[in-house]
Amino acid sequence: MPADGGAPGVAAAPASWSHGALPDNVKAGPGTAISGDVAFKRFRSRKAPGLVIGANCTMDGVQFAVGENGLVEIGDYCYFTNAVLLCELALHIGSYVVIGWNTTIADTDFHPIAPALRIADAVACSPLGQGRPRPPILQRAVVIEDDVWIGPNATILKGVRIGAGSFIEPGALVTKSIPPRSRVIGNPAEVAGRV
Amino acid sequence: MTGMAADRTLPWDWYRGTIPVNVTIAESAYVETTFSFLLFRSERADAVTIGEGASTYLGTMFDVGRQGRVTVGAYALVHGARIISEADVTIEDYALISWNVVLMDSYRVPFDPDTRREVVRRVPVARPRRIDPTVPARPVRIGRAAWIGFDSCILPGVSIGEGAVVGARSVVAADVEPFTIVAGNPARVVRRLTDEEIAHGC
Repeated sequence: MPADGGAPGVAAAPASWSHGALPDNVKAGPGTAISGDVAFKRFRSRKAPGLVIGANCTMDGVQFAVGENGLVEIGDYCYFTNAVLLCELALHIGSYVVIGWNTTIADTDFHPIAPALRIADAVACSPLGQGRPRPPILQRAVVIEDDVWIGPNATILKGVRIGAGSFIEPGALVTKSIPPRSRVIGNPAEVAGRV
Repeated sequence: MTGMAADRTLPWDWYRGTIPVNVTIAESAYVETTFSFLLFRSERADAVTIGEGASTYLGTMFDVGRQGRVTVGAYALVHGARIISEADVTIEDYALISWNVVLMDSYRVPFDPDTRREVVRRVPVARPRRIDPTVPARPVRIGRAAWIGFDSCILPGVSIGEGAVVGARSVVAADVEPFTIVAGNPARVVRRLTDEEIAHGC
């Protein structure tokens, strides 16, 4: 039984992944189930831990694409379906958060905005780059507070904090922080009302 | 055989699934894979009907709840849509649905976060783990010969008129008149088809 007196009958089974043992630096609480062969294909975090998931979460087909220095933290009772979590720095996700199919959350710009630096980055990433260092790239942590619902096909970009209880409509592209209990729609996303 | 029909499979299928008993596929229709029914759990007798000459390709997912129903008309082309149904999603004849499109007749959860928490809390005890809807569904209709561009979302209650066009990456929250082009997120009218364009139609 979870400390907060959760739904009766929630299995206290240890966390499981449908395709094998969890990576060593992944911590997941009891009752959490991860499914899908893509879950850790791009999980390269060297942090210990690099991914922390609470209890009673359901992660169906989620891609944890976490870079070497990335840390993803997820609370309890979250339900994500085929979401793509791109993390080079930090994603902090609360409890009771739902994320829909094909939604992407990213805490990084991936490449510099200046073309000359981008050329340097293209070379560094190339097989001919011979391991030369990449230029600095903007990264800002993403925070999704408790009880947020994010629909399918949505996008949440770096530095965004989504306030508790907010409802992000399908397809919304969120570039700025959202106050709690907001209903959000559009590209770029706008607050359309309160929930 | 004592009244039990054999499991129906697709001879070309890469996925070792079966066609649910309450799914009807016309003989001339093409369904690429039974993987499309991974999330299917409707208990309605006519839960999914796929019409003559219609096709559903890889990526199409019939995420159909207990009371959901999806009807795909004749010659309709569904190229990888996520169809979320708790009531009725109707794709009429000759409609074209592009990839990564979301058609949904229900949000499944309330907007109010306090009551939503109670719904989300029940997911780990559901078998399979799913959200059981607690809000009324509002049917979605894609009209005859309408065309939905890739990555678009059609929200609950929306009706897309005959011959209408929805541009790529649109999010459609309101009805679209027949023979009208809409685009954007949220979608707005771009223009109405000309009389000549309409006359060339079906």
